[in-house]
Amino acid sequence: MHMANELLSVPIATGTLALAGGGLVFICRQAQRFITPSRLAMMGVMGAFVFAAQMVNFPLPLLPGTSGHLVGAVLLSIILGPWLGSIVMASVVVLQCLIFQDGGLLALGCNLINMALVPCFAGYGIYRWILGDHPTRVRMYVAGVTACVVALEIGAILVPIQAAMSGVLLVPFHTFLGTMVGVHLIIGFIEGLVTTAVLAYLRQVRPDVIADCPTGQPRWSMAMVYVSLLVLTLAIGTGLALLASEKPDGLEWSYADRPDQPEFEPIIVNENPTIASVDALHARMAPLPDYTIRSDSAAAGWTSFAAVIGSGLTMALIWLVGWAIRRKEPVIDASCTG
Amino acid sequence: MHHAQVDQLAGQRSPIHSLDARTKLIGTLLFTGFVISAAPNHIAVPICYAVWPFAILVLGRVSFRFVFRQLLLVSPFVLVLAASNLFYDRQAVPVVFGPIRFEVWGGLLRGLSIVIKFMVTMSMLIGLTATTRFNDLLAGLGALRVPRLFVMQLGFLYRYLFLLVNRADHILQARKARKLRHLGVKKEIQVAGNMIGALLGSSIDTAHQVTLSMQARGFDGRLHRMHRMQFGWADAVYSGCLVVFLAVLMGLQRAI
Repeated sequence: MHMANELLSVPIATGTLALAGGGLVFICRQAQRFITPSRLAMMGVMGAFVFAAQMVNFPLPLLPGTSGHLVGAVLLSIILGPWLGSIVMASVVVLQCLIFQDGGLLALGCNLINMALVPCFAGYGIYRWILGDHPTRVRMYVAGVTACVVALEIGAILVPIQAAMSGVLLVPFHTFLGTMVGVHLIIGFIEGLVTTAVLAYLRQVRPDVIADCPTGQPRWSMAMVYVSLLVLTLAIGTGLALLASEKPDGLEWSYADRPDQPEFEPIIVNENPTIASVDALHARMAPLPDYTIRSDSAAAGWTSFAAVIGSGLTMALIWLVGWAIRRKEPVIDASCTG
Repeated sequence: MHHAQVDQLAGQRSPIHSLDARTKLIGTLLFTGFVISAAPNHIAVPICYAVWPFAILVLGRVSFRFVFRQLLLVSPFVLVLAASNLFYDRQAVPVVFGPIRFEVWGGLLRGLSIVIKFMVTMSMLIGLTATTRFNDLLAGLGALRVPRLFVMQLGFLYRYLFLLVNRADHILQARKARKLRHLGVKKEIQVAGNMIGALLGSSIDTAHQVTLSMQARGFDGRLHRMHRMQFGWADAVYSGCLVVFLAVLMGLQRAI
């Protein structure tokens, strides 16, 4: 589910990065109010635990030859609470990006929202809601499975929304959405079963772990609610603007030329020479006339050719310089170690 | 282990390694933004952007075998999505590349552009992490005002990663040695649940021990660094070159 940079447009990538960064800062500030130094090491170890637990794979039903593993967002929320759980999960996503290159650097905002912040809070909310005030064994299992399925599905639904808002992919939104929802329904269900199996184990062997959950209930001030709504509106507004159709809007349609209707006479006609000269100047100066880039295919073709050849030559030169600098010291071939 | 290899590469000495982590981090973000903002059906411009990560990897003494292996490992999701473009745009598009003229499907052009951009931006990211010690990266994040709690969390996570991954390896080896056949989905999930539960229990015990030993050494919730971060001449030169490079390619993109 890790998004790559290339599936996003710059406004969506930076907007979600700002949103996730802001959210994370807010969560950290809230968590600092109730966290004790003794919890810090626990959080670090729990993050490492998620990595280690993801190594434990098991065969998937209905998909022979494939195997699944735990994602861990809901389990972390259940054990650490949603605030600390989301910080730990966010650190896992950041480390996956920086060290393992799972997901792009600019797509980090989307990945943090889809895989850490939303699943942790949504999953924990659903888990507590189903568990209620009188938790029983069956309730705990139902809550675990439901929380995992819903949390993963919400994260999965956000992926095609972000991709559609970016407009990079040609895959129709409903097809991408259907695929993501279908695949993650199976993954979520399996994740739920494994989470439940872990909870069952802990209930028998280490009941203190799931009983001692620091929920931390910081309250949101109204100012924070307004700021969050403003940021969300801006993010969605920017995204929806990018989904704009290239076809004329209602006003443009009323006066635009219609090649398929030669008898059509535009309702609005302005033959003022000043307006015409300003229009011509605008068309010449605008870097993105009508949101497209101007192009002269023959000249552009030669420019591309020269640029690619030039880049190749530059790389060769860089390699020679690098070789000259390092020829006395051998390169560490990391792929041969470990 | 991959992160051990990254640590080994980041521990080398080179002009790129000596740059401030903040310079490299912000440079990588800026570079990635410029690459993905290239038009979705452009091929030449993303190829030209590859010069910068190539220079970083060569001057940073990062093995290309390592880079290619890592790119192959993380590429499947992007490759599938890039290939899906072929099914939705089969309109012939004329392509002019110097003296060569041909027609290809629009979807192929778009998919190829996604793959090239992916390889370029990922190479840049690999260049960042393979030439910067993780502790320096954390210090850089801290200096960029990322919350202290989150930076510390990343530091602890990285420190204990080796320990718990080793432990998980032992558990998996034990399962492999004992399991001689497929146990059925129900049993397999139950076994995996028990293994993860056992790992979780031992992780919590480890956390308690770590906390006790940290408190015994006077840990007060802050991490201290021996070296001060400083933005020097090398950083200024690097930043200047990157800005010029990006400006040139921006101009090229407009010309095409």
